Amino acid sequence: MDDVAAKAAGPSPMFLLLRVSLLQSWRRLAAVRSQSRLLSFVIFGFMVGYVVLSFALFYKGLRFVGRFPGLGEVLTERLLFLMFACLFVMLLFSNLVIGYTNLFRNRESTFLLTCPVSFQTIYRWKFIETCGLASWAFLFLVAPLLAAYGLHQNAPWHFYAMTVGLVSVFIILPTSVGAFCAINVARFMDRRSFQVAMIGLALIALAAAAVYMKPEIVQEDIEDTRVLGLMDRLLVRTRFAHYPLLPSYWLSSGVVHWLEGAVATAAFFFLVMLSYSVFFGFLSFTSLGAIFYEATSAARSRGGVFGQWEWFKRRSSRRRSLPESDGIAESFLKLFVWMNPDVRALLVKDIRVFWRDTTQWGQTLMLFGLLGVYILNLRHFSNQMVNPFWIHLVSYLNLGACSLNLATLTTRFVYPQFSLEGKRIWIIGMAPLGIVRVIRTKFWLAALSALVVTIGLMLLSCRMLNLPADRTVFFSGVVTVMTFTLTGLAVGLGALYPNFKEDNPSKIVSGFGGTLCLVLSFVYIVFSVVTLALGAAWWKVQEASGNPGAGHLAVFLAVSAALLWLPMRLGTARARSTEL
Amino acid sequence: MIELIHLVKNFGDLVAVNDISIEIPAGQFFCVLGPNAAGKTTTIKMLTGLIKPTSGAARVCGIDVQKDPLEARKRMAYVPDFPFLYDKLTPWEFIRFTGQLFQMPDAKIRSRSEELIERFHLDEYLRKPIEGLSHGTRQRIAISAALLHNPDVFVIDEPMVGLDPQHARVVKDILKERAEKGMTVFLSTHQLSIAEEMADRIGIINRGAFAGVGTLDELRGQSGSDGKLENCFLALTAEAAEAPAG
Repeated sequence: MDDVAAKAAGPSPMFLLLRVSLLQSWRRLAAVRSQSRLLSFVIFGFMVGYVVLSFALFYKGLRFVGRFPGLGEVLTERLLFLMFACLFVMLLFSNLVIGYTNLFRNRESTFLLTCPVSFQTIYRWKFIETCGLASWAFLFLVAPLLAAYGLHQNAPWHFYAMTVGLVSVFIILPTSVGAFCAINVARFMDRRSFQVAMIGLALIALAAAAVYMKPEIVQEDIEDTRVLGLMDRLLVRTRFAHYPLLPSYWLSSGVVHWLEGAVATAAFFFLVMLSYSVFFGFLSFTSLGAIFYEATSAARSRGGVFGQWEWFKRRSSRRRSLPESDGIAESFLKLFVWMNPDVRALLVKDIRVFWRDTTQWGQTLMLFGLLGVYILNLRHFSNQMVNPFWIHLVSYLNLGACSLNLATLTTRFVYPQFSLEGKRIWIIGMAPLGIVRVIRTKFWLAALSALVVTIGLMLLSCRMLNLPADRTVFFSGVVTVMTFTLTGLAVGLGALYPNFKEDNPSKIVSGFGGTLCLVLSFVYIVFSVVTLALGAAWWKVQEASGNPGAGHLAVFLAVSAALLWLPMRLGTARARSTEL
Repeated sequence: MIELIHLVKNFGDLVAVNDISIEIPAGQFFCVLGPNAAGKTTTIKMLTGLIKPTSGAARVCGIDVQKDPLEARKRMAYVPDFPFLYDKLTPWEFIRFTGQLFQMPDAKIRSRSEELIERFHLDEYLRKPIEGLSHGTRQRIAISAALLHNPDVFVIDEPMVGLDPQHARVVKDILKERAEKGMTVFLSTHQLSIAEEMADRIGIINRGAFAGVGTLDELRGQSGSDGKLENCFLALTAEAAEAPAG
């Protein structure tokens, strides 16, 4: 202790933490050399692919919009404002979630709390870390888009330098607000009620957006000025992106004015943003640290929020006094009398784990909820879509959107299932059920559960587009095949590349197998939709039914069967030889 | 020295720690025992300042952990049952980093760590990344780093988890030696043999309160049972379990 009591002039804790963090990051980067070349190639290829594709799409989009007579400039500008407004909201949520996890669910924070490092320093360090973690994806998303915008507008070189400066100042604001919210969430809410509240808020926002953005039927008498009318409504509905107190407005205005050569106005917006960033950043940096400890103690000390309510206490004590019941899932599965009890037990376990993990069902609800809202809105368009070209196109795009949603969920939740058995794998591995049947049971459970949603959405899509019965049957059949293939791919690759050391599903997914699963799923979806659409060739043949020919259908079925069978076979073979 | 003064901690409706008071003088080796969910870890978390007590106070060397946390933490070291280590660092880098956090000059870090590294047989691992090391080795690194600044108070939760008998002996010897030199040890464990062998005084926590505190002989008297610590433990925790919950 004598050393510590005597003041030694060593490096500051912040410097030490920064050095350790940089060292760790550098070693993680250096470790790429020792990891599979294929994995590095896939990740690198995906990143480059995203940058190139998003740049190309945005550039083409801007050129298309820019050519709109009379309104090109206005629409291009509105697009930029909208993009930054949406990204700002996304960044805010991302900062809140990452900030909360980083401050209160992080083992480094706990370690530092037992060292002679002030709460202020710990908080500041986590603030910086959160800013980096939450913003890198934003920078990655926004860079090709801004480059496309600059190129489209023939921007000079200093435009790009200026945008770097503007974006760097901009990201401090959502981090400050996110940190403030995270600290107060920790002080006043427990994790479960926070998750429920977030999902509730997201659903309300979704419903509000659905109402706000609801399309309106254009009256016959204004058919002549229909396009202008639509543009007018579009501009009115998206005017919120021009709200002058939105930080995204300052950023967009800075970018636009700099490009137009209005340097003084651009500098004004830059300074507005800088003053807010400095003010809130300083406030957050200097004041929130003081309540960080109170918040962290509250987050670690809380019983469930529901436990404060009398009705919940009464319900809990009543349930405790009752004998253990089967529960809804088990009671339902008991209806299938031919099912083996061990298979039923495994299914009940997986259903309960899914239900009790708010993240899993929350994200599922969000993704398919969004798609559901979009498909329901199609009814407003179907009256106007008299041209079969658009009906066919939208029906295939819906198939793609539904499968992409499913692929996101199978990669995120189904792929890590086998690995998540982790240290418990011996329980099911040693059971008479056998590891191969465990994998098959997981496959059937995931596929059938997903099928209920995907078929439901496809039927809804067909209904909204007023498709005839044969096409409804066709799309239902296709989505069924795709659901089985995508699930098989995720379950099979999950068993082929297990990671029993990791408990965190996102870390399991970010490994080689997870990345491969995601890439293969996306490639398979694009391939399937394009093959089927090419087979239908409705744009070439008048009176085309919209269904593909036998040849294209056969190719689709063969590829689907191969992508289902091969990973499942390799996965089960690997699992059979796994040493428990 | 450690002082826990009418320490209470509630988690919602649950009273996890119910009015614990104790004074552990400098140089004493104190073992805290108790059934699962008795309140041992919660007591440790309040003592180390990881959570605020609902009421009461914890003091280290006369310094209130809540009122002057930095000063208290400078005099203390805490090793949890699953300690946090930076996976991408090497053991030497981690030990040095910890020493620097405790504002130790480099020369002192080197000289102090030499002895600890030697006794814990860490030489061969010093330049290897921590992520590849076994739980036992990680535990040895964490204990070495925690002892580096010669803390006045050493708090450790389940120190022997993952340690082989040879290194378990090293830990016991080092802690005993340090205690003899004046370091107060607050050790929480389920292994009664460790308490029996090492402790100057033992506290048995049950349902958030001390069911018995004292030397082994005193515990025998309090529990009314003869012989092993196990008998005292079972008798004291059984008595408390029969009593109405606090």
